[in-house]
Amino acid sequence: MTEQLTIAAPWRLVRTRRRSRDQKPFDLFPLFRLAVLLLVSSIVLLPLLATAIGGFKGLGELRTNPLGLPHPWQWRNYLDILESARYWRVLGNSLFIACFTVAITVALAAMAAFAFAHLKFFGSRFLFTYMTLGLMFPIATAILPLFIRVRDLGLLDTPWGVILPQSAFYLAMAVLLLRNGFRQLPSELLDAALVDGCGYVRYFLYVTLPLSRPILSTVAIIAFVNSWNNYIVPLIMLNSEQLYPWPLGMMAYEGEYMTSWQLVLAFITLTILPAIVMFLLAQKHIVAGLTAGAVKG
Amino acid sequence: MTVTTIQESKGAAGGVWVAALIFLPPALLLFTVFVILPIGEAAWYGFYNWDGYNRPQNFVGLKNYISLFNNSSFRTALLNNLIIIAVSLAIQLPLALAMALLLARRAFGSVAFRLIFFLPYILADVAAGLIFRFIFDGDYGPLSGATQALGFGPVYMLASPTWAMVALLVVIVWKYFGFHMMLFIAGLQGIDRNLYEAAEIDGAGAFQRFRFVTIPQLSPMIKLSVFFSVIGALQFFDVVVPLTGGGPFNATNTMVSFLYLFGITRMRVGFGSAVGVVLFVICVTFAFGYRRLLMRDD
Amino acid sequence: MKFRTFALASMGVALGATAAFADTTIRWLHLSNDDAGTVELYNKIIHDFEAENKGVKIQLQDLENEAFKAKLPTMLQSEKDRPNIFYSWGGGVMRAQAKAGFLEDITAAAAPLANTISPTALEAFQVDGKTYGVPQNTGEVVFFYNKKLFAQAGVKAEDIKTWDDFLAAVKKIKAAGITPIIVGGGEKWPMHFYWSYLVMRVGGAHALDDAKAGKDGGFKNATFVEAGKRLHELAALEPFQAGYLSTSHPQAEGMFGDGKGAIELMGQWLLTAQGPNAADGKGQPIDNIGIFSFPTLPGGKGEATDTLGGINGWLVGKGAPKETAEFLKFFSQEKYQREAAAKGVYIPVVKGTESAIENPVLKQIGADLAKTKYHQNFFDQDLGPSVGRVVNDISVAVAAGKMSPEDGAAAVQQAWDEQ
Repeated sequence: MTEQLTIAAPWRLVRTRRRSRDQKPFDLFPLFRLAVLLLVSSIVLLPLLATAIGGFKGLGELRTNPLGLPHPWQWRNYLDILESARYWRVLGNSLFIACFTVAITVALAAMAAFAFAHLKFFGSRFLFTYMTLGLMFPIATAILPLFIRVRDLGLLDTPWGVILPQSAFYLAMAVLLLRNGFRQLPSELLDAALVDGCGYVRYFLYVTLPLSRPILSTVAIIAFVNSWNNYIVPLIMLNSEQLYPWPLGMMAYEGEYMTSWQLVLAFITLTILPAIVMFLLAQKHIVAGLTAGAVKG
Repeated sequence: MTVTTIQESKGAAGGVWVAALIFLPPALLLFTVFVILPIGEAAWYGFYNWDGYNRPQNFVGLKNYISLFNNSSFRTALLNNLIIIAVSLAIQLPLALAMALLLARRAFGSVAFRLIFFLPYILADVAAGLIFRFIFDGDYGPLSGATQALGFGPVYMLASPTWAMVALLVVIVWKYFGFHMMLFIAGLQGIDRNLYEAAEIDGAGAFQRFRFVTIPQLSPMIKLSVFFSVIGALQFFDVVVPLTGGGPFNATNTMVSFLYLFGITRMRVGFGSAVGVVLFVICVTFAFGYRRLLMRDD
Repeated sequence: MKFRTFALASMGVALGATAAFADTTIRWLHLSNDDAGTVELYNKIIHDFEAENKGVKIQLQDLENEAFKAKLPTMLQSEKDRPNIFYSWGGGVMRAQAKAGFLEDITAAAAPLANTISPTALEAFQVDGKTYGVPQNTGEVVFFYNKKLFAQAGVKAEDIKTWDDFLAAVKKIKAAGITPIIVGGGEKWPMHFYWSYLVMRVGGAHALDDAKAGKDGGFKNATFVEAGKRLHELAALEPFQAGYLSTSHPQAEGMFGDGKGAIELMGQWLLTAQGPNAADGKGQPIDNIGIFSFPTLPGGKGEATDTLGGINGWLVGKGAPKETAEFLKFFSQEKYQREAAAKGVYIPVVKGTESAIENPVLKQIGADLAKTKYHQNFFDQDLGPSVGRVVNDISVAVAAGKMSPEDGAAAVQQAWDEQ
């Protein structure tokens, strides 16, 4: 309310000067809008298209025909990668790491968030602030000690050496989002449940979780996308190519076929494809999840 | 009757502690072991010259920090982080806002364009870096191909320190403006329509409505967007490695890529930890300061 | 307490017992070097060894050069991942690894190798009298040139004796519209060969050791500054291919293979790498490739016969199974190393195998190495991991005029002091 009032004031001063301009017809605006949008979207899409199409060319053709369509289309570049175990392995590794990261992040964060949302005990505020400290700094700040720690735990070069640190870093975001979400459930529910003798644990399992699906899926999406795209943690923690998730696999492929851009391009295209397909299939949830997560956090 | 309530509340109070002991420890443990302790250890290791084997023994005091700030590559990296922040605020943010204004309302193609602009954001930074390494490749890249088709020579953007930095900034804007646009769209859609109508009745022109309704109403989102830009810029790393590898002449490093190249690949745990500590201090100072000063009401 | 000890002991017995029955696996990490010949030979040796030693399996894994250098430090940290055998250039990097306790002492097992391998080569893998590895090959960094392009520009390689001859040749090639020199500046180390050779030619055989000992201002002394000045003098002629600062090493080799430039200062591996990295996958035919030594500098203490290059081989990771040393001895047998020589994949260090080399250019390199009185290990390996990287950094920066020769030399000294 107060904001409305403060905003209302300034243009009163200029009302008389500007009124006439408003009468102008806006016929051209939609066209102008469309032109701008088309221009920006072509800038956004061209690099991706050039990459995908470049994967269909031969190396020589990349040089002689950098801008046109391939002639002939070299399907082999793509087929060879699709037929290789390597491609499927990096995707499988990424999926494995992402799924466990999501499971651990969501499970542990939901429990902690429940405690922060509903349990009043000495120190709860302090512990909540403690956990949200994780939002203040990136994982890179502690990457070397983290490496030493993972090594000392014997987890180096195992998927767990990636999953556990990742999940730990995503917890701050997840706890914050989930606590805010859980708090929005009507509190009468909890009171009623406790009077009925339904314990906290059962309340958590049978009331809180089912009623909080939207925010849980938001957290899951954020954790999944972050894990899927993570580079620095697996880069430091994994050594064997057998375990590489796709960003590392892609870089290793690039290192090996550096002088054959067309193969590297095909490999890039195929490895980013799952993300694009997932995005197109679940765009509403993904966009809402990633932005809502940011806003509510 | 009274007896039972007392027992109940007693039971409930005891229940709170039991429940807290069930719900909290797993998250606290994981978080402490993999987030908080490593930060503390970074502070500790930063005082040692240590190759990571055995235990740190060679205490060197502040030497790591001194040689860090005497290192011109680190100063460049720090400066680059500032440049990235500046470009995020001066170019990316206005672009995102402009696109949001064009796409916030239901109109022809709005949904499709939003998706297109958001698409780069969901791709991994490494992939974006590699894609643009190809785009800017002087021998095989389409950009160079275009300049040659126009009769100019090939361009080797990534071979020049200045232009390689420009390339890096292009990738950042390309990759992230869509995310900020979505923040602004969410904000715009939350603005009360009546405000605009009131403004129109009062005779405000399009620009004035923007200046005096949109901007103030959007300010929480703008603050948020600035916050993400800065924090994102400070931890920027993934694009650097595939695109430029920090080169030429370490001109395109960020603090994190500096940490990787000078700390991790050379296994200078002490020195690298010191870089991490500096980054930590910058991030936390910014986050606290920003929240205190600008985001108090949110 | 007692029970626990007992439990642990019996567990250990149980584990030991299973291990005795299970296969021993030796994990061998090598450097991918593009040519199929080397890997073929390795696989053949593995096959033979496994046939003779039932229950021992050898797992061959490879990493690309840059990835290898970036990844090895972290791999060594983990006991589980530490390769049992890994490629090494010896030098300060190896000494740092030995000091950190990452390497297995194989002095006793390796002793018989003294009969077949020259002492210089063996010493390259010893630290304080202990043997940690076995040398495999030797080589030389030398100017490779494209004979056709030289003829086209009217330049004769035999005439390039001094630095001024070299600069004149570069100018002449450039004037003929040909890119004089190809260098993989994006990876930096190819450029450090120039700085290294210049240091050797200016300062002679003791320059590097003196600097390490801190004599005359260490790395800040006139020799290292002079090397930087000469390097910049060369770079000022703009002899390198366009965009050389972002060219990777494999790309550079490919360009040489494509005939896109006349000269490349590179190790002997260029011979096997230029083909596969060329656009046509074949590269230059061997009879179109020639070599000439790095020119001498007027007033310099170094001789034309002093060589830069490696003695490369295999280090044994701490905790490797005892069969590892046996395998390395098996590997170093003359018959296999002769085969390597005959295939031209590398110049073996086993005595008497050099006669099997057929590749004319490799033969010439072998002759250079036989003549040399001072063979210097690659600077970036010799100086250890952190100083070596700085040498690479400053070589590119000084060449391109981004850093003065004085500042470059000072940066190396600073890194040396800080390590």
